[in-house]
Amino acid sequence: MAARCDRSCVVKQPIAKHPGPSNWSKAVSDAEKIVGYPTSFMSLRCLLSDEFSNVAMHVKKLVGTQHPLLNTARGFVYDSRNNFQMRGLVVLLLSKAAGPSHTSSDALAQDMVSGIYPSQRNLAEITELIHTAFLVHCGVVNLKEWTASDGLLKDMEFGNKMAVLSGDFLLANACTGLAQLNNTKVVELISSAIGDLVQGIYYENSNNTEENNLTTKVDTTAWEEQTFLSHGALLAKSCQAAMELAQHDKKSQRLAYKYGKHLSLGHKLNSDLQPFVKSNVGEQVSFSFSAAPVVFHRHIVGPERWQQQLQQAKTMRNQLDYSKLLAAVKSEKGLSLAVNLCCYHGNRALEAIQAFPSSEARSALENIASAITKF
Amino acid sequence: SFLTWRLCCEQPLGRRATIVSIKPEFPSEVHNVISRQVTRDSIVILFYCICNTVCFPCRHKYPACSCRKIHSDAKPKDPFTLAQKDLMSLYDDIKKELFVSKEELKSLCDYYFDGKGKAIRPMIVILMARALNIHSNGAGDLLPGQRAVAMISEMIHTASLVHDDVIDGSDKRRGKRTINDLWGERKAILAGDFILSAASMALARIVCVYSLLFLGVEIIFVCDTGEFMQLGSKENESERFKHYLEKTFKKTASLIANSCKAVSILVNADPDVHEIAYQYGRNVGIAFQLVDDVLDFTAGASQLGKPSAADLKLGLATGPVLFACQQFPELHAMIMRRFSSKGDVDRAWQYVVQSDGVEQTNFLARRYCEEAIRHISRLRPSAERDALIALTHMVLARDK
Repeated sequence: MAARCDRSCVVKQPIAKHPGPSNWSKAVSDAEKIVGYPTSFMSLRCLLSDEFSNVAMHVKKLVGTQHPLLNTARGFVYDSRNNFQMRGLVVLLLSKAAGPSHTSSDALAQDMVSGIYPSQRNLAEITELIHTAFLVHCGVVNLKEWTASDGLLKDMEFGNKMAVLSGDFLLANACTGLAQLNNTKVVELISSAIGDLVQGIYYENSNNTEENNLTTKVDTTAWEEQTFLSHGALLAKSCQAAMELAQHDKKSQRLAYKYGKHLSLGHKLNSDLQPFVKSNVGEQVSFSFSAAPVVFHRHIVGPERWQQQLQQAKTMRNQLDYSKLLAAVKSEKGLSLAVNLCCYHGNRALEAIQAFPSSEARSALENIASAITKF
Repeated sequence: SFLTWRLCCEQPLGRRATIVSIKPEFPSEVHNVISRQVTRDSIVILFYCICNTVCFPCRHKYPACSCRKIHSDAKPKDPFTLAQKDLMSLYDDIKKELFVSKEELKSLCDYYFDGKGKAIRPMIVILMARALNIHSNGAGDLLPGQRAVAMISEMIHTASLVHDDVIDGSDKRRGKRTINDLWGERKAILAGDFILSAASMALARIVCVYSLLFLGVEIIFVCDTGEFMQLGSKENESERFKHYLEKTFKKTASLIANSCKAVSILVNADPDVHEIAYQYGRNVGIAFQLVDDVLDFTAGASQLGKPSAADLKLGLATGPVLFACQQFPELHAMIMRRFSSKGDVDRAWQYVVQSDGVEQTNFLARRYCEEAIRHISRLRPSAERDALIALTHMVLARDK
């Protein structure tokens, strides 16, 4: 009981505003008003179950340890102004923008709430559930790689247990919800998106290891393919499924898919670009080697020069000086390639949404798509 | 008979072999009496309440089962032999469903589909499907959808095994190293998720019955929350036992029960028949898990392929411990702290050995099997139906 109270307090707390791209935040918060209410899907069904309150109680025990599940949980509460639940929101907006289809019966249209079918709302929730389940599952730690200096192994074992169970719980909830949509095509689409996610994350994980980082070469096409699996497939297929649920034709489905696909790719590029376009003097810069500009840069300069640049960026104590490396990346074409690609995807998303009739929901989707092309 | 039964139960230290002779055929008003009289030491009574309300529903007032009388002359065929032909391509079919471009992930996903598993779930599903087909049409040929259900049941089960091994930190399964031991926890979790997604895709593609689809995917949910519930410890003893049986159902029986119901829906429109299939699967599944819990105490490490008393080490109180707790109240505190203090696991094990916890759990399993037989015997006689009956005996007799 105590856990339930704590949790609801957490949910109701005013959400700390995370510093981030203001264009994006504005586009998202404006859009949330259009679909009826802030998109807090997760709190509705899942968080109120006994099983989840059990988890909330156990997660508390992780406080003070190094387990990544804590960060995921923290982001769950504080990061929601940024890209959290963005997928669900886009699914709702698209559903509203497409409206009722001509082939569906009037009886079905009566169930609509602010222009969205209940099944589409469920789909939006399912999409978020799946996304969150994978965030949680990605927080699982490889115990054999854990060294005593990193913290207690016992804490990690416990954290892993919680991560697996809560991720499974969310995923299982998503599957049940999926089945209740009563549409085999949608089940197949979303199930395949789960498969895509696994493959994409698996690929990313194995590419992120130190040795692979130095040897593998990835061009823009390969990057797009991989990133689509890990960051785009779920949204693209959910958008398509939202059209299928309202019995819209193949053409609308294809457009929705396109919008979802290009939006997620553009969004990923935009967030990868942040450390490179921000000019915060004096602030500590840091970026991932799997960030798009770095990946493209490495492809352009080739492995030998990249090795050289890495060596040159090393300080006396063998630490990486990120600002030096950043300058090296900026001096080549990788950065502009990433910026151009980001704009390309943003524009393709805009293009796809133009085919829908003009409406408040459509302009919100336009705003979101153009926000990702601005820095 | 109710009185003698109660007397048996109220001797906490007495041998309860006599219970075996008592049939659970109480009129419904007796349930109320029993539930009112639940006392601290009467987990057995509570069990009968649960059984009477949940698994022995009052609306099914059949005479004692007569199946064995009819079919005792011909020895039923071994279930494994009978289902073998249908299961030959099972693992190849599963591997085809697990379509991955990346080689390493593919080998992870295929890892447990090496043909070395017992494939008990697909076997039950196949036999049930054929028995039901004969019952409904007089012909036993399998429908493609039924074959798919058998396959999907094994996929879902395997996905949950992969995740279980991470949760339990196991390094061995079926005599070989676990995926988490070989490739690490992160990859193991992803592989499990992938198998799950492939199973739900197969479900969507092959089986076009919505209600069935719903059932199939719900299985995953129920199985997973079953795992979830292992986390909490219940204060109250009767609560704890109820919780244990619930967990047992969700962990093992729900998948078997729902798969059996699924193959029934595919061939027959009669809800009574679906109920027979479901109840058989449910009761056999619970019995299977109860025997599993017993084997955790009795089988040596080499036989089961995993170390003995593994549940205790994980802090879980299963049937034998819960029964032993009636005779040795000292166990109560240990259960509450989930055997976390030094020496708890050994002491608890000793108490279980000294008590009749193992016999009582076995007895419980036997009751569930009898219940399964009672249900399945309502089907038209067939070799497959008799094999399903024979299977219940094998579930009880298995030692690994």
